[in-house]
Amino acid sequence: MVFRSPSRRDQDDGVRFSRTLTATLIIISILLIIFDRPDVRPPALSAVRSTVVDVVAPLLDLAARPLRAMGNIGPYWRRQSELAQENAALRDQLNDTLYWRDLALRLRDQIEIYEQTLDLDVTASQERVGAWTLADPTGPFVQSRIIGAGAERGIRDGDPVLNVFGLVGRVVETGRRSSRVLLLTDLNSRVPVIADRTNARAILIGNNTNFPRLDYVGRDADLRDGDRIVTSGDDGVLPRGLPIGVAALDRDGQWRVRLFSDQAPVDFVWVFPHVRVLPPEADPVIENEMEPPTGDETGTATDESIEPALTNSADDTASTTQGDTP
Amino acid sequence: MRGSIDARPPYGLAVWAAVSIILSLMIYASPGRLAQGGSLMPMLPLITIFIWSSIRPRFMPPFVIFIVGLMQDLITGGPMGVWALAYVVALMIMRVREEDGAKREIGPIWFRFVGVVAIATFIAWCAGSLATGGPAAIRPMLVEAAATVLMFPLIGLLTIRKRSSRSGFGI
Repeated sequence: MVFRSPSRRDQDDGVRFSRTLTATLIIISILLIIFDRPDVRPPALSAVRSTVVDVVAPLLDLAARPLRAMGNIGPYWRRQSELAQENAALRDQLNDTLYWRDLALRLRDQIEIYEQTLDLDVTASQERVGAWTLADPTGPFVQSRIIGAGAERGIRDGDPVLNVFGLVGRVVETGRRSSRVLLLTDLNSRVPVIADRTNARAILIGNNTNFPRLDYVGRDADLRDGDRIVTSGDDGVLPRGLPIGVAALDRDGQWRVRLFSDQAPVDFVWVFPHVRVLPPEADPVIENEMEPPTGDETGTATDESIEPALTNSADDTASTTQGDTP
Repeated sequence: MRGSIDARPPYGLAVWAAVSIILSLMIYASPGRLAQGGSLMPMLPLITIFIWSSIRPRFMPPFVIFIVGLMQDLITGGPMGVWALAYVVALMIMRVREEDGAKREIGPIWFRFVGVVAIATFIAWCAGSLATGGPAAIRPMLVEAAATVLMFPLIGLLTIRKRSSRSGFGI
């Protein structure tokens, strides 16, 4: 900040600033707006954004701590009289949960046996990274959160983010120690989903409200109020089966989803580093395989004619494989 | 804080201005929903830079306002330049053109602030709509603007020195 002693002009007319500088800043702002749109954002600007968030993340964490403490105190203070009743209800729930825990353990053992039988490698999808929400800015253009974990802990763009109730969103910017999560309610959020009961497919589209809408629902799709909506995994970005919410028909006849994740503040979340399902690569075309073998008139191929063909196809395969390797 | 403003070294006040701006950005970005409350948050950075540009215009040159707006863009995750443009234009139009450290009346300052908020919100809506490729939701912006206007007197009364009294609260 530059200071100068007040001049006579300052005293008469107030403080003035350079109009050229102001005009330059306005032009820079307009250029940034044009080039920092989500669909055309260059990687350099993305890097700047994630670096700045990384730098301010410790400060944001500092500001969030007292609020986290207040969040814990508030409900306790408000519900003092209901605690005993709640405690009894929780005991009942716990008893019920014991049955489900036994069932889950049995199923887990069964699944492990199936995975071993099928030789599946699912270790990557089992890991999860816990993180606190550092910032919850209420900007009118983007519905996002900043969380306190980044690439250092294995998080990458596109990874799903869940709280204890369900899917919150996905990672869209990854810094070293922080990440930005695009919420399901954001205008730019598109998630392919299915109804758990009937496998009816749709796209969940954020609209900056608490109830994102279901679009591209088939004309005869079997969808009812209260149907559980989960991710379909059709996009290959999010895994299948992550809980999202329940379907609800609004007054205009539009399907919307009441999000599970709204049942509690988005304070602590888990990020599930997810191995994306890539489309299968085409088999390499072996040209010589289709060529008729040159042999004697009776049509039987000689050993000498087969040998070069096999050699060529082996070379083709090797070169294709090399070409695919980054 | 109660002494005469002219006797104070400007660098101390500059540090105080910087700290208050950083604090306003941190509180603005803080996860308000964690406290089981609503997500209503006034534009604290705008309130802070307006108050400083009213009582110490020299502390708030355009590039400082630009940087505050840019930081708000980055923290909220919106397109860069939206709030930077809105704040620079609004504050340059409605800036208090008086000498540094002068005493003010809160009423006229509040009316001026309403103008600043209106201009900033309108520019941010236009720029945000351009950046997101469609009309941005106007309702949350209006709610945020209203909360900002209503919050201003509370902060302004504590910080802006009244013209009638040199020994009152404020800097």
